[in-house]
Amino acid sequence: MTFAALLTKELRLRLRRERTIWVLITYLLVMTLLGFLFINRTGAYNSSTVSTVGSGLYTLLVFVQLFLIMFITPAFTATSINGEKERQTFDLLLCSRLSAFELVAGKLVAGLANALLLIAASIPLFSLVFFFGGVGPMQVFEATLVFVVTAIVVGTFGLFCSTLLKRPPVSIAIAYMFCVIWMITPWLLSFLLQLSAPFNGSAQGSYLFIGNPILAMISTFTFGGTSPIGTVSLFGTSLAPWITYAIINILLTIVLLLLSTWLVKPYPISRLARLMEKRPRKEKAAATA
Amino acid sequence: MINIQHVSKSYRRVNALKDLSLEIPKGSIYGLIGPNGAGKTTLLRILAALLIPNAGQVWFDGEEVGKKPALIQRKVGYMPDFFGVYPDLTSVEYLEFYAGIHGIPRKKQTSTVNDLLELVDLNSKRDVLVETLSRGMKQRLCLARALVHDPEVLLLDEPASGLDPRARVELRELLRTLQGMGKTIIISSHILLELAEMCTDIAIIQGGQLVVAGDVEQVTRRLDGGRHIEIRVLECVPETTEALKEIEGISNVTSENGDVIQAEFVGDDRALHRVLAALITRGLPVVSFAPRSSGGRLEEVFMSITEGSSPT
Repeated sequence: MTFAALLTKELRLRLRRERTIWVLITYLLVMTLLGFLFINRTGAYNSSTVSTVGSGLYTLLVFVQLFLIMFITPAFTATSINGEKERQTFDLLLCSRLSAFELVAGKLVAGLANALLLIAASIPLFSLVFFFGGVGPMQVFEATLVFVVTAIVVGTFGLFCSTLLKRPPVSIAIAYMFCVIWMITPWLLSFLLQLSAPFNGSAQGSYLFIGNPILAMISTFTFGGTSPIGTVSLFGTSLAPWITYAIINILLTIVLLLLSTWLVKPYPISRLARLMEKRPRKEKAAATA
Repeated sequence: MINIQHVSKSYRRVNALKDLSLEIPKGSIYGLIGPNGAGKTTLLRILAALLIPNAGQVWFDGEEVGKKPALIQRKVGYMPDFFGVYPDLTSVEYLEFYAGIHGIPRKKQTSTVNDLLELVDLNSKRDVLVETLSRGMKQRLCLARALVHDPEVLLLDEPASGLDPRARVELRELLRTLQGMGKTIIISSHILLELAEMCTDIAIIQGGQLVVAGDVEQVTRRLDGGRHIEIRVLECVPETTEALKEIEGISNVTSENGDVIQAEFVGDDRALHRVLAALITRGLPVVSFAPRSSGGRLEEVFMSITEGSSPT
């Protein structure tokens, strides 16, 4: 009940803002324009090249969408808690029956709803690809999963920043820095490794790419399940990078969500100290009994 | 009954509250008065279980606030000294949201919100965006928000600040209505007269410490050192003046406006009764005998005791 009330309010406020509709329009315009330019650049095509155009267009749209999600989602969540503090409405939320988890989850779901709206709005654009062919439905499903997981983990990190940091501009900046570091660090490290020792997709370099969104996306259409980089073997089964990516980032999301839940209520350190005090007391009581 | 015992709170090097103890009777309108930085907001936030004191305890009907903050927050309606509104919501949506997060079932929300809008006289503004409301209306809406879960205790931080005289009168009437509904109301203000008009009890806080507390009349007397009496007699003004001068506890007897005599008096109600009895016994034609409200002087006394105060 309390969660639903918070979610309703958040969605109402977000959808009433003029900014939301402009973000959606700009997002679709950018993708449409890039797709249009790509098709025009290719020029005349015959039956044998049309599927290449399709897969090329798909690759372009998928990467544009991935980058847009990574750079738009933090803006939806990175100010959700400290924004309430700045607006001086946070105390009023604390005085209600909202639990810490409901508060954090409500803010996250509302923020993600905006990101998911962008993904959903782009589906008709993606369907254009099927006119040209060269892309399988499974590929689209895997890419969509990578989009959703990326939105969730970036959104949760933004929320975590907003519970940890007091000022909204700082939390947005940190969230964006995380996105950049997350994307480029494995590529940068692998480049440095290559400089020191030739890299042949060995296990040492391969593990750097676990959880990297770019490689996860590449694995959905370039190498499929047989990617030499980023493929992990678990109990004799080899997992494609996009599967590893989904698993690792869902685990990261859970950790960030729990940390945000702990941090959102006042006095997180004193509460932790009190909890630690209580535990030995309970154990002592149990031992005495 | 709210019992505050030896509460201290400091923010880094600033002591906001120092060993403050108070008892707030049930059903009272209790005013916390003090200059800016006296610790009023800190005390209200501790009562709302939003702050943990460094020392001391606060009890609500036998329940310690620090141990059961969630339970206390259900009993308390808190209105901070800022509006804290979502400008893109209408008045109804704003109240429905708070009703929802206070766990009021959806079916009951509509009637609760309607009743509250009626109570704060904002029914005509129900579908208007909160950002377009005037300051006084926003203040009333925030009061309705604090009441949405029907709390036993209302904590109002500077509710009348920035309101025009008419809005202040309306707020005062509203608070009296709420007191009539059995609610305990705790209000903070740095304007003594504002609270003296609407409170049954007051506490003056200065530099985080309690200066004086009690019902308004008691505090007035303790601060003022006495009461002012206004006596109107039919003729015999010099005789009455002389008679008054002879009575114990009476001082500064003056008669500036013809048949009206003013005097200062130190003593309780029984002693005051003896003054009147003495005048009647002497056959003096007393028409009216009124212990005058010392509001104006009270403000002066308040100014003098809080002069140069700042949190340490």
